[in-house]
Amino acid sequence: MAEEIKKQRPAPDPNSAKYKLNMIAKKAYDDAFAAKERGELVGWCSSNFPVEIPETLGLYVCYPENQAAGIAARGGGERMCSIAEGQGYSNDICAYARVSLAYASGAPAEEQPMPLPDYVLCCNNICNCMIKWYENLSRELHIPMIMIDIPFNPDYDVPDAEVTYIKNQFLDAIKQLEEITGKKWSWDRYREVMEISGRTSRAWLEATATAKYVPSPFNGFDLLNHMAVMVTARGKLEAAEAMETLLREYKENHEKGVSTYRGEEKHRIMFEGIACWPWLRVTAHGLRDRGINMVTTIYADAFGFIYKDFDDMCRVYAKVPNAINLEYARDKRIKLCNDNHVEGLLVHTNRSCKLWSGFMYEMSRQIGEECDIPVVSFDGDQADPRNFSEAQYDTRVQGLTEIMQSRKEAQNAG
Amino acid sequence: MLDEILKKFEEAACHPELLKERYLSEGKQIVLVAPVYTPEEIVHSMGLVPMGAWGGDLQLQESKRYFPAFICSIVQSIVELGMKGAYEGVSALIVPSLCDSLKVLGENWKYAVPSIPFIPMTYPQNRKPEYALDYTLHGYERVISDLQKATGKVFSEKLLRVSLQIYNEHNELMRETVKELAAHPEISAQKRSWIFKSATFLRKEEHSALLRQFLEELRKQEAGKRKLRIVTTGILADAPSLLKILDENGLQIVADDIAAESRQYKTDCEIGNDGLVSLAKKYAARDNCSVLYDPYKRRVEALVETAKAVEADGVLMVLTKFCDPEEFDYPLIRNACNAAGLPIVEVEVDRQMENYEQAATIIESFKEMMESK
Ligand code: SF4
Ligand code: SF4
Repeated sequence: MAEEIKKQRPAPDPNSAKYKLNMIAKKAYDDAFAAKERGELVGWCSSNFPVEIPETLGLYVCYPENQAAGIAARGGGERMCSIAEGQGYSNDICAYARVSLAYASGAPAEEQPMPLPDYVLCCNNICNCMIKWYENLSRELHIPMIMIDIPFNPDYDVPDAEVTYIKNQFLDAIKQLEEITGKKWSWDRYREVMEISGRTSRAWLEATATAKYVPSPFNGFDLLNHMAVMVTARGKLEAAEAMETLLREYKENHEKGVSTYRGEEKHRIMFEGIACWPWLRVTAHGLRDRGINMVTTIYADAFGFIYKDFDDMCRVYAKVPNAINLEYARDKRIKLCNDNHVEGLLVHTNRSCKLWSGFMYEMSRQIGEECDIPVVSFDGDQADPRNFSEAQYDTRVQGLTEIMQSRKEAQNAG
Repeated sequence: MLDEILKKFEEAACHPELLKERYLSEGKQIVLVAPVYTPEEIVHSMGLVPMGAWGGDLQLQESKRYFPAFICSIVQSIVELGMKGAYEGVSALIVPSLCDSLKVLGENWKYAVPSIPFIPMTYPQNRKPEYALDYTLHGYERVISDLQKATGKVFSEKLLRVSLQIYNEHNELMRETVKELAAHPEISAQKRSWIFKSATFLRKEEHSALLRQFLEELRKQEAGKRKLRIVTTGILADAPSLLKILDENGLQIVADDIAAESRQYKTDCEIGNDGLVSLAKKYAARDNCSVLYDPYKRRVEALVETAKAVEADGVLMVLTKFCDPEEFDYPLIRNACNAAGLPIVEVEVDRQMENYEQAATIIESFKEMMESK
């Protein structure tokens, strides 16, 4: 059935943002393979490691989280997780890490192959789990690990002492990478990358902000696809251009009164958490069948990597979603809900991610109260399909729909 | 005499609530210190009593409002105890940011137990470079200023150096005790555990005094019959049911790599002119622990070396359910032990566990593995 639909689809327009963005993501893998073949060193990099560093140095890096998501979305999550479990890894460990450790140990993954690394770049601003995972990669593959520690900030603002600490590590990491790869750091090139990254980020922020229009000119599930480029390639010129195309398309959609969301947008929600990649279709359909558009997620805000200089960049990396306290994280979401006329919050309690889900109950309660919207959560996992129940998801989404519906009716009546 | 001292360890270990009442009735102020490493010395130097908060063996009810099920039971039960009022009367809770679950502990605590202030201690993970010291110091300054606010006490460098000395002496005594216990198979695993557990609740000078008496008495005592010698590793291994199984199977813990036990006492402070800098250096010198960045995973080899040095017959991994820092290390530890010909098994525990049948089966077969070697 799925195959049939695929075959009937028209060839994608090579000038469309979607096509361009997909090509960028694909090219990153191709380039890394080609580099490896030429005998160049290839790194593995955590998603919120400052991409400016490898980009400025001209390194070829791959992103294991992105790979794991791709493998999971194409049905390989359970297989890879089971392989890692067979090696002694508990099934309580983040499924991205399990998939990645299985791949690093030699388990093939046709769903999304990637060259093995010669060094790893780790940044723990999204979780300390990352440190453990990369330590194991480094040890098992006998390769160096470069680590930038960006601590969880219990306060609202980033203290100067933290910026200094981060900056010193950035400079250390550059030095280590120069030694490992033989490439040279150039401040001129860095400034270019910073400009491009800012351009890409501004286009992303503006594009995602078009969700303020009712109906929204896009289906929020689009963001889940496009964010890969924001994570991995925002310092590349092609990425800036593709994001600007995306912005143009969304603006045009709004002017023409059309949307990538098919059907009537009856309800608008914010989705909280990483996507359930193995169940992407099921989770998307569960919403679409009820006329729900997921108009925003924290990703809309999270990739606003706009800064004016090196110090400021350090500060920005200390403000990524999982590095900030409950109050700051809450306020960012409240803003997204208000700006985008959100009527309900759907929370993915993600078994893989202790940090993201660990204070979500309290935070989502506070968001619900502040924005006066219903909050519903479901259990799932971003890459291990075994931790999701279709029936539970369906019941919860139905519950959310009914509350939103009855509120709307009450409003209309009142 | 030995039994009397052990009784004192037991009382402190098993009834921290009585100890808390005693300290409060003496007019002292108490500050809770969460795992794994907190700058207790600062608390101590300010005339406050640091008491360990490693959770408790109880069913989780209230804390479920805050945590999903897949957060470790140490973190969850700290909040459960807080919500149930077990910590009433204490002045603050200090939580270090060393694992993801500890990061969320503080965030939830603020709302779950608003009557007891949460004080974060943010440590650098990249702790070896010189510049990391400044960041650790920044964390200490934050702790000091929050403690002053919460308790009205003031911090003094001079008193800190006195406390550092007291902590160093206690470290030394704990290490001696571990060594001495290894030579005394007649002291049960349960009794050994009381010694460690009481150390997290009692003021260090009180605990040191008890340790001195204990060592003196123990050294007089003739060593019991040799048992199978094991090394334990993990975060926490104080569940009485688990210890009972070890004792019933005739297994003696001759060394440990448990976060709540020996990991606390293996690093001393080189006391220089500046107490806070000395303390920051102590943190930087810590190693071989699952919550501290360890690029080469030296912890794995260190454990194997320890096991060999104490002539252990096997290694017991006590895995706290949902503790990902330990879960990532386990396969590597297992492989290294296998390569070294050291029998190793893993037992999963959590603070709500009531049924230890599976653990008993695993440990029985562990015993057989060791005996047949
Ligand atoms: S899902 Fe969570 S635990 Fe896993 S890598 Fe991402 S942030 Fe870390
Ligand atoms: S180190 Fe492990 S047991 Fe300790 S708080 Fe973190 S997850 Fe829980």
